[in-house]
Amino acid sequence: MYALFSVASGLGTGLIGFYLGLGLVAIVRGLTGHDAYDEQVSITFGYVFGLIGWLMGVGMWGAWGREWFGLRTYWRKAPGWQRYFTFSPDHKVIGLQYLVTFIIVFLLAGLGAMLMRWELMESGMQLFNHDQYNAVMGLHGILMVAVAVAAVVGGLGNYFVPLMIGAEDMAFPRLNALTYWLIPPVAAMLLSTPFLGGIEHGWTAYPPLSVVTDSSQVLFGLAVITFGLTSILGGLNFIITIIYMRAPGLTWGKLPIFVWSMFVTSWMALLYTQGFAVALLMVLLDRIAGMSFFNAETGGDPLLYQHVFWFYSHPAVYIMVLPGFGIALEVISHFSRKPLFAYRYAVGGLLGILGLGGVVWAHHMFTSGMPNYLHGPFLVATEAISIPTGLVFLAALGTIWMGRLWLRTPMLFGLAVIFNFACGGVTGIFLADVPTDIHLQDTYFVVAHFHYTIVGGEIFGLFAGIYYWFPKMTGRMYNEKLAQLHFWWMFISFNVTFFVMHWPGIQGMNRRIADYPESLENVNLFVSISAFLLGASFIVFVYNMVYSWIRGPVAEANPWAARTIEWQIPSPPPVENFPEPPLVKGHPYDYGVPGSVHAVFPGAATLPAGGGGGQ
Amino acid sequence: MRRHVIAAVAVWVVLTAIGETLALADLYPTVGSSEAEDFDRIFRILIVMGMPVFTFVIAVLFYCVIRFGSFGKPSEDGPAYRGAGLGPRVWLAVTGSLALTVMIFPGLTGLAELQPDKSGYGWGESNAELVVRVVGFRWSWTMEYADAGVTVSTAQGKELVLPVDTHVKFEIESTDVIHSFWIPAFRMKIDALPGRTTHMTVKTTALGRFEDDDAYRVQCAELCGLDHSTMTFPVRVVPRAEFEQWLQSQKPAATAQ
Ligand code: HEM
Ligand SMILES: [Cu+2]
Ligand SMILES: [Cu+2]
Repeated sequence: MYALFSVASGLGTGLIGFYLGLGLVAIVRGLTGHDAYDEQVSITFGYVFGLIGWLMGVGMWGAWGREWFGLRTYWRKAPGWQRYFTFSPDHKVIGLQYLVTFIIVFLLAGLGAMLMRWELMESGMQLFNHDQYNAVMGLHGILMVAVAVAAVVGGLGNYFVPLMIGAEDMAFPRLNALTYWLIPPVAAMLLSTPFLGGIEHGWTAYPPLSVVTDSSQVLFGLAVITFGLTSILGGLNFIITIIYMRAPGLTWGKLPIFVWSMFVTSWMALLYTQGFAVALLMVLLDRIAGMSFFNAETGGDPLLYQHVFWFYSHPAVYIMVLPGFGIALEVISHFSRKPLFAYRYAVGGLLGILGLGGVVWAHHMFTSGMPNYLHGPFLVATEAISIPTGLVFLAALGTIWMGRLWLRTPMLFGLAVIFNFACGGVTGIFLADVPTDIHLQDTYFVVAHFHYTIVGGEIFGLFAGIYYWFPKMTGRMYNEKLAQLHFWWMFISFNVTFFVMHWPGIQGMNRRIADYPESLENVNLFVSISAFLLGASFIVFVYNMVYSWIRGPVAEANPWAARTIEWQIPSPPPVENFPEPPLVKGHPYDYGVPGSVHAVFPGAATLPAGGGGGQ
Repeated sequence: MRRHVIAAVAVWVVLTAIGETLALADLYPTVGSSEAEDFDRIFRILIVMGMPVFTFVIAVLFYCVIRFGSFGKPSEDGPAYRGAGLGPRVWLAVTGSLALTVMIFPGLTGLAELQPDKSGYGWGESNAELVVRVVGFRWSWTMEYADAGVTVSTAQGKELVLPVDTHVKFEIESTDVIHSFWIPAFRMKIDALPGRTTHMTVKTTALGRFEDDDAYRVQCAELCGLDHSTMTFPVRVVPRAEFEQWLQSQKPAATAQ
């Protein structure tokens, strides 16, 4: 059992590292006349050493660490499904590792949402006490944020960016494996927060609350810092891959829009993620080293945190949603059988968002008590971002106009991204406008708005991508009827749940509360029931995926007759991706242009299946 | 093509007409201050102006799905429009001017009214007829009517009482973590921070009290830990004369008797 061996040795060395950390702390503290064990300090050092131990044990030592000592490196080779449990350099393995891991995290965090909605069915406390509610709320939030940041980029990005640009792998395969294997410790740390009391500060962890709360906060902070590390390293890897490893002929003007969205997203991750990590590092230092960055009494400033935090966390919403846009536009062009409308403007829109995305962060702080003169500039920058975002809509709507729309499940999810984001975008106007935001900030109006953008824009995009590429990744076809059922069920219950949720917000129901005034009971009951229906829709999805992966009918190489490179090779792709390096000739979306092909394999005997326009 | 444009525009007009009825709907809690009147008005204007944008997207989506969609595999490709001509430039010009006229300009004018003073931390005039010092702590509030030397808390008075038709300025602080001082009936909030005094000034316009209407409550609107959700405080807005009486009755001397 390679799988078991790999994971077990990681756990073993991880544990050894953890106790090493505890021991070191005990020795140093003992020698300096303190108690040998201090919960926060010991956990911090135990975690750092444990993390290194885990990575080495799980396979990094053999594949990478040995090199540092002049030894020969090796990869653990596992057969079949077991390779998904090893430190593997293959971007396709890593992509599926990410995807499956984050689907599981998504379902767990979704369960948390169901529990919250159960508690909120009635006013008063039923299922939880206040403490438990806050813990579940914060955990749902941070887990979902992690899903939203990494599921598409790490999963579909890893799998398909190299294939779509005609590369054999990512630029740094070992780094790629490292970014994935840092994820399980993040998940483990977050999921163990309830055992140390549960985080009570939500996913945003504002001090002073996060400095004075119980030590589960330390687990949270360490997890987030580690997660930031994987995002940054992953971003770097994508940027280098896309710049240097494109197939001959694949100029920037011919790059598939999904790859463009990954490129822009990766820049965002590389430029801004340190903000989140540094903010939590500062909280950690306030806690374990008494730095007093955020303590007003000793010269610190609590608002400092919010600036550093949102400096990342606003761009993060684009890290979440741009991959969703990328998938939606990709799918919409292929399934409309038309060129992507105004391709250059769409790319310009993505780049415009990259540029403006970094200068709007304080719109999350309109009621924070920051100096008055800051509101105007951030209001203007925020409203201005609607212009590049509008270009994405232009591309989508221009493409479907007069198209030959093929309404298979990926297309439905792709169109839903546009539908949902239109709603999320319009409600955003109310929040970017200071006079309305000062009532709506921190209410369920905001909760509804960001679920529209994140779930509606990104998670729907994730599902579009999963259905679209399922035959490529697994070599089998999903069940279309069940998939359509999943789509309509999820689409309708999502919209009912979150559209109605705006209203209690306007009425005066603030967010992050375990209890609310009785006058809002009816609407909350309604929202809860609708949320349960939404939750149930994922059962259809999971069943379809699991069953089809094992038993589904064998898929053709190119069931959608799509033009991009990944569809011109067998499903699932061979380890080396391409028998012959592809040569790019034409635009990826030139449907309806007679005789145009995107890519050819000059060395291959026959022309691969499915190239060219509609046959 | 022309036929399709006309039909899609018709769908857009119909959807917009339906959508705009949302602007007429009464979605709002009780109006208790002139700021609340402003909020409701601006909110309605934003619905009126945002709705056509939203319905435009929805109309094109619906029209294309219904007219151009099929569940079977299309037998041919669509027309190869690349969208390199005038279209995108017109689109940019339209969205750019919408951003300026619908969002940025009204936003900035509204903001200028809210912040007559650019250097402070908060909303509204810095002068007012009544000043209330508010201190948030986990998990309640104290309100201090400094001029009268009266302090109200969960232990004392248990109610924030305000005179009607008065400019009331709240000066807000916190002693521990960050809280947020929000009264839904007044549509305004600002955070309570340790080490910094923020303020907000409202003009009360209507009588009301918490017992009848929970929009008349102070609600903490920034997660502050365990009992955040119940960190509320009742509000009562009364006629001026009644307010003076109430204030007298709360004076330490009066309660001591
Ligand atoms: C199954 C559907 C879902 C339901 C019913 C749901 C429900 C909720 C509820 C009730 C809250 C607490 C709101 C508050 O008091 O602030 C919440 C918070 C949150 N949700 Fe969801 N949620 C769902 C899916 C998602 C997804 C898919 C994501 C992201 C990918 C997400 C991201 C968040 C975030 C970031 C928070 C904020 C947590 C915090 O304030 O710390 N949710 N959700
Ligand atoms: Cu933002
Ligand atoms: Cu609070």
